[in-house]
Amino acid sequence: MLFIKRGNLDQLLESLRGDYRVYVPRTMGDGTGYSLLGESDTDYEIGAIRSFDPLKSFYFLGREKVAEDFKPDILRDDKPPCIVGAKACDLKGFKILDFVFIDDEFGDPTYMKARKEGLIISADCTGVGETCFCTAIGIDPWPDSEYDINLSPVDDGFIVTTGSDKGLDLVESNKNLFVEATDPQKKAIDQNRSTVQSEVTRKAKKKRIPAADRLKRIIEKQYESDIWKDASEDCVECGACNTICPTCHCYLLYDQKANGKLARFRIWDSCMIHDFARVAGGENPRDRLWMRFRNRFEKKFNFFPEVLNEIGCTGCGRCTAACPGKIDIREVLARLEI
Amino acid sequence: MKNPYRSIEAEVLKVTTETPSIKTFLLKPKEELTFKPGQFMEFSVPGAGEAPFTPSSDSEIKETMEITIVKVGKVTDAIHELKPGDTVGLRGPLGKGYPLTKFIGQDILIIGGGVGLAPVRTLMYGLFHMRDQFSRLVYRGGCRDPEEFLFRKELEGWMKRDDIDMRFTVDQGDDSWNGPVGVVTTIMDDIDVNFKRVKAIVCGPPIMMKFATFKLQELGVRDRNIYLSMEKNMSCGFGKCGHCRIGPYYCCKDGPVFTYDMIRDFPGIWE
Repeated sequence: MLFIKRGNLDQLLESLRGDYRVYVPRTMGDGTGYSLLGESDTDYEIGAIRSFDPLKSFYFLGREKVAEDFKPDILRDDKPPCIVGAKACDLKGFKILDFVFIDDEFGDPTYMKARKEGLIISADCTGVGETCFCTAIGIDPWPDSEYDINLSPVDDGFIVTTGSDKGLDLVESNKNLFVEATDPQKKAIDQNRSTVQSEVTRKAKKKRIPAADRLKRIIEKQYESDIWKDASEDCVECGACNTICPTCHCYLLYDQKANGKLARFRIWDSCMIHDFARVAGGENPRDRLWMRFRNRFEKKFNFFPEVLNEIGCTGCGRCTAACPGKIDIREVLARLEI
Repeated sequence: MKNPYRSIEAEVLKVTTETPSIKTFLLKPKEELTFKPGQFMEFSVPGAGEAPFTPSSDSEIKETMEITIVKVGKVTDAIHELKPGDTVGLRGPLGKGYPLTKFIGQDILIIGGGVGLAPVRTLMYGLFHMRDQFSRLVYRGGCRDPEEFLFRKELEGWMKRDDIDMRFTVDQGDDSWNGPVGVVTTIMDDIDVNFKRVKAIVCGPPIMMKFATFKLQELGVRDRNIYLSMEKNMSCGFGKCGHCRIGPYYCCKDGPVFTYDMIRDFPGIWE
């Protein structure tokens, strides 16, 4: 195990700016949000918990031109993203997004390019957010895969773990920035991990979230329940839960003609919006708000377990934090318990 | 890497007005573009957007394709404005289409309704190309009124063939109509096929598909032998954009043709 001082991490990130668009968390209110690392910037903060914005924003852009005229070109040719301080819940989101966007015949070209060429410098959580419940979904609050290098915060710096060949190469070619980690440092990260893990678990327990492996069955059993109507009463159909979610992947294709050029955009969509599934002829399989509300839970806790054997929720709690109707996903799951 | 969002340029060669609200567009793609019966295309008018349609022409014709479109919304409004010489976009083929090889040796029963007669036309050509490989071929079609009857002349031509049993009905008749009057299920009682094994294909408006399916069940057709052409909001066409989910399936990628046993338990399938 290696150790990197904060000052040396600054240097490492500065050097990565040549090959990557380096996105770092910066303090925003009582949390962190991502923005681009500029030349010689050191004002980033490896946050205690996940950032406000989900990691998908850098791989599957909110609005992106995906085709121009009838040209077969793949349009995005900027530098790949390097994401610093990504947390375990966001990385788990890739399990879903990769399943959706990566395939041989119809793979999403820009997503696949960013995933292949991008760099992920993840980090352990050192705190627990108000709405966090990752452990209830079976996720630990520290990254166990999908990262190139991981940072575990200790005094004055970070313990570094490599998770890919790309990560190994990066450490190898910047040897002078790292030193061997000491035993007390290693102990400190174990200590932090177990503290954070038990704290998330304690908080989640208070919410009485059903066991992760039972959620699929619970959704099936409660499909016709009145809980959906009741729980969705405060929903204002803003779609915030969708846009903020690290696994929500739905989009619409939108064509426009500008300056004589035809452009096709891929834009995030929300399944909570009335017309999401409506067909041109007028039929709408989810005409009522509670049906769309149920659909969102069904997609995450039934569809993805069915087709991928993965829960489509990472316990990041962003949807709960973002909801203007104060709908708490943990409380809805608890109410559905059978 | 292929760009799945990119449309192929095509030229509108001919526009045929079928009914006041339905037109058929003969298109010539500028690159090779072939499809199988039951597969669909995303058809776009530059700048106005895309919408999914199943071609209505013979899939063996490689250079051109016909798509028959009813005017119902923003994109189809723009499509109905098209004139010969105009440029459009085609993206596809998408979806799985009909498993024709699974039909070999069996009786085939087709129930078509309204604008559903358009994709059925492609299927009929496909079936006629391999007619000697099927047993009985029965086609029951229905429309709101005789005016709505797509490809009426062609259908009347097919009716003269001795290797197919075809009958048509309209919900409301007029002076030009001397056939049966009533919904399509009212002309399904004289069908002579082996109901235990028949492959039944249903294509039409949701309400018609629903009642035709129930009628087929009544006649003893097995759910796994009822092939439904589902209409959902299909945007990307390859199972990524999320709009057309039916239970564990995406209508675009896993369909749009589904057997009834695959989807019968999911809510909203007829809406």
